[in-house]
Amino acid sequence: MYYQEKKTIASIISRLLILAAYSIYGILKYQEVGANLLNDLKLWAAAMLIFIGGGVVIAILIQIVFHIILAVANEVAKEVSNKAKCKGSEEAHEEFEIAEFEDEMDKLIALKAMRNSFIVVGVGFVIALVSLYMKMPPAIMLNIIFISFSLGSLFEGFSQLYFYRKGVKNG
Amino acid sequence: MAKLVISNNIRKLRFYNNEMTQQELAKRTGVTRQTIVAIENGKYSPSLELAFRIAEVFETKLEEVFSYEIIEDKSKREDNSK
Repeated sequence: MYYQEKKTIASIISRLLILAAYSIYGILKYQEVGANLLNDLKLWAAAMLIFIGGGVVIAILIQIVFHIILAVANEVAKEVSNKAKCKGSEEAHEEFEIAEFEDEMDKLIALKAMRNSFIVVGVGFVIALVSLYMKMPPAIMLNIIFISFSLGSLFEGFSQLYFYRKGVKNG
Repeated sequence: MAKLVISNNIRKLRFYNNEMTQQELAKRTGVTRQTIVAIENGKYSPSLELAFRIAEVFETKLEEVFSYEIIEDKSKREDNSK
């Protein structure tokens, strides 16, 4: 597995954590407050702002931890490789590649994955509008939009993984 | 529309250039090794700029590195035969 794939997996994990934490928060709050919660738009707005901010912090932390683990694993692989060379063994130990830049393939994959993410967000927005039309509380619409953005970013990550594995064609 | 299948001789050219590693080729063309692997396996068609850079590393013409084959649509062929 290459660096970009590992990085994508790390970001998928952080997005999953945020979505899971938000879902648990929403369910617990609903059990605590009851149906009145659906009319409290201020609470939902505050919760979403907190989770957006927390999401950014968690994503940064996970990326830092990921890079530390990758650097340590790289050093261990080098050490093992050097020892094997000293013993005259031809056993090869793959070094973990740390690519500090995005090349043209990474950019193309990111663009295609973002397009897929926009499709999910667009579908979510339409569902949110339908929920309003069906006279559901605005809090439901707000939650559908928030969750569709989260699912969209998750779908973006999975699309990236798919393109890295299956390949990507121009056009 | 007819399908265009692009193939390449990068593996062969690396072999003839003192078994140049994918990492070395990636470094000299300014991309990651993952991209070189994807090109070699036919999973990614590089931009014209990268294709020329690869040809330049091997000091050869673009046609020596990349080649293409036009595969006609089956249904179209059947229509033409009728």
